[in-house]
Amino acid sequence: MRSNLTTTAKVYLAIVFVILYAPIFYLIFYSFNSGGTMSSFESFTLEHYKAVFNDNRLLVILINTTIVALLSALIATMIGTLGAIGIVSMSNKKMRRTLLSLNNILIVSPDVVIGASFLILFTMVGIQLGFTSVLISHIAFSIPIVVLMVLPKLFEMNTNLIDAALDLGANRRDVLTRVILPYIKPGIFAGFFMALTYSLDDFAVTFFVTGNGFSTLSVEIYSMARAGISLTVNAISGLVFVVTVGIVVMYYLITKRTRKSGEV
Amino acid sequence: MANDTIIRFDNVTKSYNSNTTVLKGVSFELERGKFYTLLGPSGCGKTTILRIIAGFEAPTTGDVFINSKRVNNVPANERQVNTVFQDYALFPHLNVFENVAFGLRIKKVKEAEIKARVAEALKFVNLAGYENREITEMSGGQRQRVAIARAIVNDPEVILLDEPLSALDLKLRTEMQYELRELQQRLGKTFIFVTHDQEEALAMSDEIFVLNEGNIQQSGTPVDIYDEPINRFVADFIGESNIVDGVMLEDYKVQFAGKVFDCVDGGMKQNEKIEVVIRPEDLHLTTPAAGKITVRVDTQLFRGVHYELSTYDKDGNEWLVHSLKQAEVGAQVGLDFDPEAIHIMRLNETEEEFDARIEAYTNEV
Amino acid sequence: MKFKPKATFSPYLLWIVLFVIAPIGLIFYYSLLDLNGDFTLANYRNFFTPAYLTMTLTSFWYAFLITFFTLLIAYPTAYFLTKTKHKHLWLMLVIIPSWINLLLKTYAFIGIFGLYGPVNAMIEVFGFDPTQILFTDFSFVFVAVYIFIPFMIIPIFNALDKMNPSLIYAARDLGASAFTTFRRVIFPLTIEGVKSGIQVTFIPALSLFMITRLIAGNKVITLGTAIEQQFLVAQNWGMGSTIAVFLILIMFASMRLTRKKKRGGRA
Repeated sequence: MRSNLTTTAKVYLAIVFVILYAPIFYLIFYSFNSGGTMSSFESFTLEHYKAVFNDNRLLVILINTTIVALLSALIATMIGTLGAIGIVSMSNKKMRRTLLSLNNILIVSPDVVIGASFLILFTMVGIQLGFTSVLISHIAFSIPIVVLMVLPKLFEMNTNLIDAALDLGANRRDVLTRVILPYIKPGIFAGFFMALTYSLDDFAVTFFVTGNGFSTLSVEIYSMARAGISLTVNAISGLVFVVTVGIVVMYYLITKRTRKSGEV
Repeated sequence: MANDTIIRFDNVTKSYNSNTTVLKGVSFELERGKFYTLLGPSGCGKTTILRIIAGFEAPTTGDVFINSKRVNNVPANERQVNTVFQDYALFPHLNVFENVAFGLRIKKVKEAEIKARVAEALKFVNLAGYENREITEMSGGQRQRVAIARAIVNDPEVILLDEPLSALDLKLRTEMQYELRELQQRLGKTFIFVTHDQEEALAMSDEIFVLNEGNIQQSGTPVDIYDEPINRFVADFIGESNIVDGVMLEDYKVQFAGKVFDCVDGGMKQNEKIEVVIRPEDLHLTTPAAGKITVRVDTQLFRGVHYELSTYDKDGNEWLVHSLKQAEVGAQVGLDFDPEAIHIMRLNETEEEFDARIEAYTNEV
Repeated sequence: MKFKPKATFSPYLLWIVLFVIAPIGLIFYYSLLDLNGDFTLANYRNFFTPAYLTMTLTSFWYAFLITFFTLLIAYPTAYFLTKTKHKHLWLMLVIIPSWINLLLKTYAFIGIFGLYGPVNAMIEVFGFDPTQILFTDFSFVFVAVYIFIPFMIIPIFNALDKMNPSLIYAARDLGASAFTTFRRVIFPLTIEGVKSGIQVTFIPALSLFMITRLIAGNKVITLGTAIEQQFLVAQNWGMGSTIAVFLILIMFASMRLTRKKKRGGRA
């Protein structure tokens, strides 16, 4: 195998990878510990996983988290994709730049500021804090990332393709559904998955805008972690890790397939 | 003949942002079933004309007619015109069949008919059996054919081709020139072909429009344009030419390079300043004594079919000569040419004046 | 492109108005209100008292440290990654940990840095007494750096990956040493990536509040912690908004500084 790496470089990379993964495997390792602590491993057990599945409250939270993630990613993808198409089709360069800057504000904004400002917004408008407010917030902070994932595909798209479609008799709806959307599909997928991970990973914004007993996994782990070590959290980590890797593999396979058929 | 007119431009202009004018009043009529070429350097407005015919752009002023119907505001998707794009613009997410079928599917043509028509179109461009290929699996020449099939399958009245051969290599380009010409004759449709390649234009067209800076400089058959360029630009752009200043002494008598020659042009004022064009292949090498002008050979390049000589007369005018015979660099040689080889160009003559004059004088000889 | 789907574009524009412009406006508005909802400049006066200024400075200091160490670790990692054989696979492996829930990773460090955790076990092996690493400045900075590393690696990796390798050969060919090549060619060409990396690290580092609570106890107070404190504990939205206004101003400043210059690069 050809390698341009010196031994030092290899060792360096190895250390970085160990540090990146150690905490995760540390958590998963102790999730099988019957001892109930994260310092001395007594014997193998699945009781903490059982505890997760027997805890109705926790299951409800898991379901809530998934629903919020899927729903917000889906809606954000729709709004964001159409937004990106709108941005690209603007003829006024200055307006386009302004819109892009506005788009990026929520990506650069600190979570706390987003959370705090949304809290004010929901309180003023009178939206009850809970599922609705959390869902709306997740849609709101996922839209700009979808736009950013879709834009490069749109910019890369040959505008002659649109002319060609019009030339062949397509109306604007046909152009959208038969040419633009299929072409930018990889970008839409990427946007959807990013939105999904943004939603699943969010803690700060949800922490601010949730209420009335509605909770997501992040917020629940926070309160569990503040109370101290609980191996149920470790078991959740194990599950989350498996699901994450699963999503990554799935995403990788899907993009690989669409890339194969989508390249010029 | 008016019945046969399919496209008419009436004093069409096109400007962007009020300060860049791409077309400065273009008028022409195109007949049904002919192969037309819009020829000119980049930025001359040829592609803009194509885009206006296709409906991608609207003229700023003036009118465009297709089949005697004013179409200024008819969008591209409602015109009986299809385009073959420079980069083919094939849909990368669709395979060959679906690319060709695109227009038919939009029109909601029945599945069985789509199958038949796509197969026929692909057969027309020699791609039968390639239906299920991905676009990525096709070579440049094959993509070109798919693009053509995608246009002709819709049975348009006019097919627009925007420099469709420019991405191909030389050998393939020549091959496609034959094929396109043949295809046009088999289909009997109007082809409007845009190119900056004069050889392509000369080889394929029934009629050529030479454009420069938003104006039509000259139109006519390839032979007319080659033999009787209207001005320095056309002469320079269509093939290589020797252009020198001269004076028209009287009808059929022209003075240039310090001598008086017989020619076949007339209809100008006495002693009018003109420009003379002689094509390099019309100059024949001979001895200084036998030649009409004497020149010194400066450089010589072997071009395969002929030698290309750069020579200078005593006044310092450069004379480019295409010769089958080899010459000696540095030698004094004579150049001989026929009166018919001398083409006279009046300064600032319009196309109408030019046509009228040519009509009146060439017939008499 | 002449394609203008006006009707389909409106949800996005509505989103910009409701969730980008309106929230910023509301934050400014609330920063001018006191606890009774009356207009006041007291919050701003308050912010410029030594207590808040010290906190702001400390927050900046920690954010600086976190960004610095993240960059220090991430740049060589990204550089070496671009040299590996299956670089995109390796990059993927770097990204995966960033997709594991932030809370879980932070929670892991409660165990790792704990009095009976593996780090202290190691310290004991070397013959030292176990100490409380949790709830210290060190643990806070370490965990934050750990969290931000992948986000810093990605833009730098992309910048390095985009760089034409011939440039390095050209520099070496022209007599530059490995170090000079790095300083004069590689680093300047990847500066945009570094800038984006700093942007995705510095601002979030200023506003961390979950890690400060879980890992640093309440020893480290960042701007983020202060906002959370004012909004959710003290219920003083006016003061919280005032601090947020400053975070927003810093954010705009950083957006200006790190704005991409399209110059000489490929589109």
